[in-house]
Amino acid sequence: MRDDWDDEQLMAALREAMRAREAVPDWFIEAGQTAYAWHNIDAELAQLTYDSHHDADRAAVVRSEAASIRALTFTSAHLSIELEVTAGSLLGQIIPPRGGTVEAQTSAGASTTTPVDEIGCFSVVPIPDGPFRLRCRTTDGTDVLTGWITL
Amino acid sequence: MRDDPSVVALVVRAARSDQSAWFEIVDRYAPLVWSICNRYQLSSQDSEDVGQTVWLLLVEQLGNLREPAALPGWLAKTTAHECLRVVTAARKSERLGTRLDDAMQFVDDAVIEEEVVTAERNACLRAAFTELPARCQHLLAMLLADPPRPYAEISAMLDIPVGSIGPQRGRCLDRLRRSPELIALVAGDMGVAVPGGEPGA
Repeated sequence: MRDDWDDEQLMAALREAMRAREAVPDWFIEAGQTAYAWHNIDAELAQLTYDSHHDADRAAVVRSEAASIRALTFTSAHLSIELEVTAGSLLGQIIPPRGGTVEAQTSAGASTTTPVDEIGCFSVVPIPDGPFRLRCRTTDGTDVLTGWITL
Repeated sequence: MRDDPSVVALVVRAARSDQSAWFEIVDRYAPLVWSICNRYQLSSQDSEDVGQTVWLLLVEQLGNLREPAALPGWLAKTTAHECLRVVTAARKSERLGTRLDDAMQFVDDAVIEEEVVTAERNACLRAAFTELPARCQHLLAMLLADPPRPYAEISAMLDIPVGSIGPQRGRCLDRLRRSPELIALVAGDMGVAVPGGEPGA
């Protein structure tokens, strides 16, 4: 803007600023506010180290058929979490295998906890609607949180 | 890009678990995220997913942002990347062999920069507006309405003579010009004068 904006220009700029804010639906703002519920979780973060979709992106150039199963791997210093997404379910395994619990946290602030059996396998049903992440707590005390996943 | 001290302060406070600072960040920059979703012509559902993902990523990154002042640029780029991902995935699942429009094929830094500058200017104007005296806010809001309220109605609502609406509007706008936010905006303008300049990342 200019120092010498006259009244009309200032009014026009103000109108634009107000319109831009009014155009944003309340639910969009609320979703942003809710995200803060996940601030300051004290767990080790696991990074996405493999995503079959990324390979599919490259493969799609020569082969138009989409893969029906999506595979993801999250890795932290202490363990890896391998995920397979099929229609309607999310199957996972903790490597190296060990028991515990897996908590699926949704962006809306909700969470559901499922057990992990002694060979490290678990399933999350149904697949959360919208972005979610998994927090794995194993029997040996490891506490790992994946990055956000959108399927 | 100018360093906006208020943005830095908000990021620092939000990283220290101050929820009101987080709400202010969302209120300030949701229009930026929203406008980029619109540019990619996303459905409401996709816009919601992108918005959530962007804010969740920011929550995760709050303590690690190398340059808090570059937050608007970070938000804009992250949103554009997420939009691009959604649009590309949709095209694939529909098995459309068509190519994306040129404007949608990649994240264009110059477009992003322009969106960030606009969003910053709008956020400064809104912040300055909310600090005006209530009378000024009422008067300007009525004049800014679409369509603007007739002077006779404003006169009745605010209990002032029609003849003084013009002069009062002028005084309110003068106050707005002298607000710290707008002074900072004018001063910072020199920093964004270079076309295509990168945000201070």
